[in-house]
Amino acid sequence: MTVLGVAIGVAAVVSTLLASRAAVASMTGDVASIAGAARLEVTRPGGIAMADIELLRPVCDEALLVPIIEGTALVPEMGELVRILGVDLLVDSQARSIELSAPDLQAARDELLFGNGAAMASSLAGQLSLQPGDDLELVVRSRKTSLEVVATFEPERFGSAWERVLLVDVAVAQELLARTGRIDRIELVPRGAAATQDELQALAARTAAQLPEGYRVAPSSARRDEGTRMVRALEFNLTALAGVSVLVGIVLVATTLATSIVQRRAQIALLRSLGASRAQLTGAVLIEAATIGLVGGVVGVLLGWVGASAAVGSVSTTVSTIAEGVIPGRINMDLRWALLGIALGLLAAMLAAILPLREALRTPPLQGLRSEHAESVTRRSFRSRLFALALLLGAAIVFVNLPPLEDRPIWAMMAVLCLLGTLLVLSGPLIDLFSGIRPSFAQTGVGVPLRLAQAALEAGRTRAAWAAAAVGVAVALAVSMTTMVGSFRQSVVDWTNQAMPSDLFLRPLAADSGGLAGRIDPEVVKIAREQIGSENVDPFYQSKAYFRNSPILLAGAAFAVVAREGGVPFLDGRPSTVAFGAALESGEVVVNEPFAQRFDVERGDLLELETPGGSIHRRVGGIYRDYSGHTGRVVLDLADFFSFYPDEGPQSVSIFVDKDVASARSALAGALAGRFEVELLDNREVRAEVLTVFERTFGVTIALQLISSVVAAIAVVAVLTALIHERRRELAVVRVLGGSRRQLFGLVLGEALLLGLAGATGGLIIGLSAGYVLVAVVNLQSFGWTLQFLMPTSLWGTLLSVIPACLLAGIFPAFLALRATPRESLHASS
Amino acid sequence: MQTLDLVSNLHETQSRVLAPVATLIGVERTYARGRLAVPALRGVDIELVPGELVALTGPSGCGKSTLLNILAAVDRADGGSVLVSGQDLCTASESQLTLLRRRSIGVVFQDFQLMPNLTAYENVALPLALDGRTDSVRVLELLSRVGLAQRGSHYPSELSGGEQQRVAVARALVHRPELVVADEPTGNLDSASGRHVLDLLMDLRREEGAALVLATHDRMVAARADRELRLLDGRIASPEA
Repeated sequence: MTVLGVAIGVAAVVSTLLASRAAVASMTGDVASIAGAARLEVTRPGGIAMADIELLRPVCDEALLVPIIEGTALVPEMGELVRILGVDLLVDSQARSIELSAPDLQAARDELLFGNGAAMASSLAGQLSLQPGDDLELVVRSRKTSLEVVATFEPERFGSAWERVLLVDVAVAQELLARTGRIDRIELVPRGAAATQDELQALAARTAAQLPEGYRVAPSSARRDEGTRMVRALEFNLTALAGVSVLVGIVLVATTLATSIVQRRAQIALLRSLGASRAQLTGAVLIEAATIGLVGGVVGVLLGWVGASAAVGSVSTTVSTIAEGVIPGRINMDLRWALLGIALGLLAAMLAAILPLREALRTPPLQGLRSEHAESVTRRSFRSRLFALALLLGAAIVFVNLPPLEDRPIWAMMAVLCLLGTLLVLSGPLIDLFSGIRPSFAQTGVGVPLRLAQAALEAGRTRAAWAAAAVGVAVALAVSMTTMVGSFRQSVVDWTNQAMPSDLFLRPLAADSGGLAGRIDPEVVKIAREQIGSENVDPFYQSKAYFRNSPILLAGAAFAVVAREGGVPFLDGRPSTVAFGAALESGEVVVNEPFAQRFDVERGDLLELETPGGSIHRRVGGIYRDYSGHTGRVVLDLADFFSFYPDEGPQSVSIFVDKDVASARSALAGALAGRFEVELLDNREVRAEVLTVFERTFGVTIALQLISSVVAAIAVVAVLTALIHERRRELAVVRVLGGSRRQLFGLVLGEALLLGLAGATGGLIIGLSAGYVLVAVVNLQSFGWTLQFLMPTSLWGTLLSVIPACLLAGIFPAFLALRATPRESLHASS
Repeated sequence: MQTLDLVSNLHETQSRVLAPVATLIGVERTYARGRLAVPALRGVDIELVPGELVALTGPSGCGKSTLLNILAAVDRADGGSVLVSGQDLCTASESQLTLLRRRSIGVVFQDFQLMPNLTAYENVALPLALDGRTDSVRVLELLSRVGLAQRGSHYPSELSGGEQQRVAVARALVHRPELVVADEPTGNLDSASGRHVLDLLMDLRREEGAALVLATHDRMVAARADRELRLLDGRIASPEA
C-alpha cells in the first residue's frame, strides 16, 4: 500500500509532464522537427509576398531559400485537426529529407508539384484507410474541399509532429488558405558545412540588410521559444499541482513506514540491547525507504505513461485554450522521464524516512521498553511548532509579494507550498484539539467508541498527526482548487454575459479537442451582411504583429457595432459602449488585460506596433477583461485593421438581430448551407459552449486534485490499518471486557472521523488561503487575469465529502479489526 | 486443620444450596499447529459456585490459559458442554457471548491490560460504558476500595505496577460479575504488591459474591484458595492440599 502511494504520486507528476509536453510539442519541439535543416527564418506580420524571395537573391549562394506556408484544416472523418504544410518541393528536399513512398514515385512527385495532390504520414493514411489515389476530405476556412493523396511518408523518422501533417505544394496551400501570392516565412538552410553561431549571425545580418522595414530575421528556434513561453506558465502550474500528489505521497510513506517501525519496536529494542548502533539502525530504515521509493518510482513511471496517454487530449484542450493551433502530439516516454520518475520516488521515500528514522532512533533498548510513556506535547515542542508556523507564514507572505520568474509564478507557488507545509505543523495540535473534546462515557452508543478512538489517536499521536496532515493537504488542495475554479468560473460567466451580447455567433467547425479549424471564409461575412444588415454584423479578425519585439495578436472588430450593442467589460468600470465609442471617435485602440499586465501598459499610453503596413502608433483607449486566452491582444477598429492586413477571413462573427432570432438564424443557415461548413450558435448556446470549454479546460486540474485525494485516502487506510495492527491486543481486551463487534467497528470509524475532522479543519483554513493566492497572485502572474475571489457553494460539498471519504477509508481497517477473535488477538500479541 | 474442615463443609453446604455459576462437562479443546493437532484440554469437568475461589495450577502448557479462555467466553470448546450463568457457551451466538462477557464475567490479566490513554477512572468505568451504563458511585466506591480514590484522573503510565493491577481488579468487578477469571494476577508484581492485590481480589470476591477462578504457579496463592484444581496434560489431576 505504501508502494502504491508513492507510485500514484509519481504517476501523477510523470503523466502530467508527459501529457503537457506532448501537447506543447506540437507548437514547440515540433517547430524544430518541422524546420529540419533550416537555421534561420524570415517572417513578417501578415505574411510575405512570394515575390519578395527575389530580394534575398544576394544571399542565395550562402543559403538555400525555402518558402513555407502553414495552416490548419479539419478532417471531419476523425474530428481532428491536421497541419497543412505548403513547401516548394523542388528546393525543400534539401531542407527536409522526406522520403516519399508511392506506387509510381515520379507520377506522385509530378502530381504534388503541378496538380492538387498531397502527401501524408503513412500512419494517418492507415487511420483513415486511405491509399495513394484516394481523396482526403477536409474543411479549410469553412469550406469543404478534398485533396488527392498521392504519396505517404514515414513520420517516425522526423518525430511525432509529422503524424498530423499534410504536405502540399506552396501554390496548393495558398489556394486552400486563400493567401494567394503570399507565404508565412522563408527558411534559410546554410549551404556547406554546419554554420557556427557567428556565421549564422553574420548571415542573419546580411539577410536583414536585403529586406525593407517590417521583416524579421531570427533563428528557427525563436518560434519554438515563443511557443514555450506561452505555455510555460500552464505547464508549471499543472506540474506543481501534480507535485502536491507527491507531497501527499511523502506524508503517506512517512506515516506507514513510521508505523511499521513502531510495530517492530520490540525487535528494534532487542537489536539495540544486542548492541546495534544508531548508524546501523539509520542504514536499515534508509534501505527500507529506498526500496519502497525505487519500486514505487518504477510502478509510478509505468502508471504515469498510461495516465499520460489518457490525459493528453485533456491537456491539449487546456493548452489550446491558452494558445491556438495546438494539434495533440504522441506520448513519448524516453529514458529521461523514466529516470526522473524513479528519482522522484526515491527522493520522496528518503524525505519520508525522516519520521520513521526518528521513531527507530527513539526506541530504547529492550530493558527500557516497558517503562515508556504515551506521547505528549512538551512545552519545548509547542514553542518550536509556534516558531515553525511563524516562519512558514512569514515566508508565504514574502513569496506572494515577489514578481514571477520568467513568466512562471514560482514564488507564488512556493507560498502555496509554505501554506501547505503549515499543515504538518498544525495537524498535531488539531489532533490534540479534537482528542481534547472528550465525550463522556454517559453518552451511550457514540460516547464509548469515540472516547476509545481519541485514546487510540493519542497513543499514536505523531503518526495520527501525519495522517491528518495528509488529509489536510488533500482537503486544502481540493478547497483551494474549488475556490480557484469556482471564482474563475463565476468571473467567466459574468464576463460571458457581458462580453457576448450578440444574438447569433458564427465560428469555424471545431475539432473534438476543441481547437478551431482556421478562419471563416470572407464570403460568409458578406452573406451575413446581406441577410442581417452591415450595421448588425461584427466580424472579429486577428493576425500577428509585434510590440517591443514580442509577438502579439492584433485584432480588428467593428467598433461602431460594439459601441451600440455593448461588449467586453473594462477594468476602469466604464460601460463598453462608452469605451468603444470614445476609442472609435479618437482613433484609439483597446487592449486586453494580459497585454496590459505583460507590458505594463496603462490607458492613455502610446503604443508602437509593427504591422505589415510598417510601424504604427496608436494610443490605448481602454483595457478590457479577457478570459479567452492569455496572449496579449490589441484591438483596432475594422477600418483601421484592414488598412494593414488583407482580408483572410474572420475568426468569428457576432450578429445582432432586431426581431425574430430563430427565423434570422434559419434564414442565414439556409443561405450558408451547402457552401460553407460553419457553426451558427445562438446566444444561449454560445454561453453554454464557453462553460463547456471551461469545464474541459479544468478537467486535468480536477483529475490531479482527485489523485491527491486518493493518495490521502490511502494514507488514512494505511495509518488506521497500522494503528489497528499495533493495538490489536488493546482491541482484544475491549472485546474480552464485553465490547461488541459494532462498538469495535465504531471505534475504528471514530478514529477515521477524528482524523478527517482534524484534516478538514486544517485543510479548510489553509485551502482558503492557498485559494486566495491562486486566484489573486498565480492567475495574474501566469495569465494576466484578475479574478474576483469567491467562495463557491460547491466548496461546502467538497468539505462535506471529506468526512464520508474518511469514514469510507476506515471501513477496511475496521473490518480488519473485527477479523480476529479476541482469543486470536490476545494470543497473537502475547 | 480444623479451619480447612470448616471451609470444606461450607463449600459442600454452598454447593447444595446455590446454583452453580459455571458447569463444565467433558470439555475438550484441540489446536491445530501446522499439520499437527495439539490437544489442550481432554475432557475437563468443573463446577463453580458463587463466592468460591478456585486456584488452577499446573505446569506451563498444561491447558490453564485455555480453560480460563473458555470460562471467560473468549474461546469455544470443541467438545463437551460449558454452561456459564445459565448460558450454553457451545451454542451461544457471538453477540450472546459478547453480552455474557459484558455482564457476567470479569477478567484480570497477568500484565494488567489497561487502556493506556484512558484514566484510571475511565478504565474502571469501561465495562459499564460498553454496556451503555454509568454508575460513578460504583466506580468511585471500587477505586476507593482498591485504595486509589485519589488517583482516578491518573493515566496507567503514571501508576506503579501494583496500582495498575488494582485498577484492573476494580475493572473486573465494577459490573458485579458472577464469575471473575484471573490469569496469574500477581505474576508481574513484586511479592508485597502481589500479596496486596491478592488480598483485595479475595476480599472483593467475598463481598461481591462472585466465583473467582485464578490460574497461578505460586504455591502461596494456591494455598489461600477454597479449592485447587491441578491440570496435567489437559486433564484435571487430583487436587493437592
